[in-house]
Amino acid sequence: MPEFQTVRMSDTGQGLFSGAEVESLMRVEFERARRHKFPLVCMRVAIDRIDQLHDLYGVESKDEILRAVTALMRDSMRDSDHLGITQDDRFLAVFPHTTPETGQMLAKRLIANARKMRFERDGRSLRISLSVGVAHNKDEAATSFETLLAVADDGLAVADAGGGDRFVETELYALYANKKKRGGMDSDKPLIINAPARPLPAAPHEPTREELVGKALLEKLMSQGFDIDALAGMPPDMIAQAIRAFSQQKNVVEAGAGSDADKGRQIDQLERRIAKLTHVLGITEDELRRVATMKGIDLGLASIYSTVQGLATDTSLYEQKREMMKTIFEANFELKQKLKPGSGPGSPFEKK
Amino acid sequence: MSSETTQEGQKDKGVLYLGIDLGTSRTSVASSNGQRITISSHVGYPKDVVSKKLLKKDILFGDEAVEHRLSLKFYRPLAAGVLKHSNKTTDDVEGNMKAAADLIREIIRVSLPRKDELVYGVIGVPAQAAIHHKDAIIRAARETLDSVMLCSEPFAVAYGLDMLDDVLVIDIGAGTTDLCRMHGTMPEDSDQITNTFAGDYVDDQLSALIKKKHPEAQFTSRMIQTLKERYASVSDSMPPVVIELPVAGKPMSFDITDDMRTACRSIVTPMVEGLGKLISTFDPEFQHRLKNRVLLAGGGSQIKGLDSAIEQEMKKLLGGGKVLRIEEPIYGGANGALKIAHDMPAEYWEKLK
Repeated sequence: MPEFQTVRMSDTGQGLFSGAEVESLMRVEFERARRHKFPLVCMRVAIDRIDQLHDLYGVESKDEILRAVTALMRDSMRDSDHLGITQDDRFLAVFPHTTPETGQMLAKRLIANARKMRFERDGRSLRISLSVGVAHNKDEAATSFETLLAVADDGLAVADAGGGDRFVETELYALYANKKKRGGMDSDKPLIINAPARPLPAAPHEPTREELVGKALLEKLMSQGFDIDALAGMPPDMIAQAIRAFSQQKNVVEAGAGSDADKGRQIDQLERRIAKLTHVLGITEDELRRVATMKGIDLGLASIYSTVQGLATDTSLYEQKREMMKTIFEANFELKQKLKPGSGPGSPFEKK
Repeated sequence: MSSETTQEGQKDKGVLYLGIDLGTSRTSVASSNGQRITISSHVGYPKDVVSKKLLKKDILFGDEAVEHRLSLKFYRPLAAGVLKHSNKTTDDVEGNMKAAADLIREIIRVSLPRKDELVYGVIGVPAQAAIHHKDAIIRAARETLDSVMLCSEPFAVAYGLDMLDDVLVIDIGAGTTDLCRMHGTMPEDSDQITNTFAGDYVDDQLSALIKKKHPEAQFTSRMIQTLKERYASVSDSMPPVVIELPVAGKPMSFDITDDMRTACRSIVTPMVEGLGKLISTFDPEFQHRLKNRVLLAGGGSQIKGLDSAIEQEMKKLLGGGKVLRIEEPIYGGANGALKIAHDMPAEYWEKLK
């Protein structure tokens, strides 16, 4: 009797495939796509800072967010697509018959829709964002599903490292394909798809990153007519100083971009502080009002428009607004006249 | 001017301007001394001496009135965005009129006017309020305001945001939804549509759906309103709405996610059909621009995902559109009315005293 493997969807508790299941499906889909020559897109999706949200607001909030993102992803997918979730709460989605362009559009839509999501917790509104790594089988080097998965993982890592709320396609298919050929990615062994992607060391026979950068820089300088001999004759200190200055400038820019999360936390803290102060101010005002009433003091607040009133003449909409004010007044004057028993409409601009 | 005002002596220190959004469910005021207050539009008077002694007040307003409504002669004086008395649908005409006047007095009191200031107010009314509705509001307001003007609610919203050209405003209140087309001049009757597919309609729909699915559940319209305000959403991926309702005195859990979504969505199509009417009768050259400048305001605009749902329906019925939600849905009308009050020349106010 042949043994059949069944795909169970109950393990994740959300009616989703588990990571291993979707990986298995992906392997089959990839082979089918290769045989029948149809496009396929693979995506790794993570909810940014989900662990921090879990720590701050508890497991219920995390579950609620995961459920909502699952529903959001399902809404964006067809029945023939596959969606799975791994134990580290990352989604793996496979879209057969989908071109790379459509895949990018899908990723963009997912990210945009996630931005719109709001969750209420402890009377406060939480927002989420997604990081997405995208890969497709149109690249010549995308010869195995492990390569696709590695590229998607890499894209997710880059998107996450960049602050999240974005999708990345690294296009490092050739790199991972070579690595697989060298045995670095054994297709017989199960792929650990939960492992965070990290930059892979350069292969021994390949040029180093420095060599590649140097070559690219040289080509760039030559294409712009730069005198290479002059550069060669330049004191090394001067070149080093220029590189340091460039590096410092880059660090400043990166520090600004990377501190978005910190700024978010600061805003959060300030909002809480404002809420507390507003509460205390309310209590103080109530008390002042009580004392003022006891002593018979006028409680009113003076209008800030006691002396400044009317349309500002320097506004670009002055004429338009003046006409509108006149129309509103005329309508109200007419109404007043109609409501006055036994009197006709009259003209609002007659002198008294 | 009210008799009360003249007895108080000279008001020569200036003017306090008020922008008032007199709503069926909530009344909001923004005033030129920086006060911004919203109270629910409910008024109650103790039923007898016992309740008066217990409550220690002659009149209760807002949530306090709702809380003690069983001990009160309870009024919701504004129906469909206008005074209930003016609809002639209720027997207690005088009671509603008095409650409305007291509500306006209260909203002015909490705005903290100085005794030596005149108080001028602009009140937002539904786009197509009839003259007898306006009459009723003015009569109620004149008792406490030195000078009063009415203006269309959706116009006030657009004016407050300085969006006067080629804009469509949707102002979803409890009683009415106002649609208004702005094209650089004061909107005329043909630029405005008022319908009753608003907050109360959603409550009715939700109530009917729950009753149909769970006939054993016991609830009141107030409970339904509270549920809507907390969970309202039209999103497909909305979190589950599981609530507790009493069944024969015992609390039971009910999942009303689908009912909530269905009830909230029930206002989308009529709203977009109304927008379609305003767009199709506009200059064809500017119809595209108009479709892409739809402002969503009012308490009802807080329904989660409503802007996207309207955009989707607009895509289906009108070929596309862009909806912008205003930042302060509760105060959008009051802020705009205050801006009008301030921009209105002093001589106009004088003539309306």
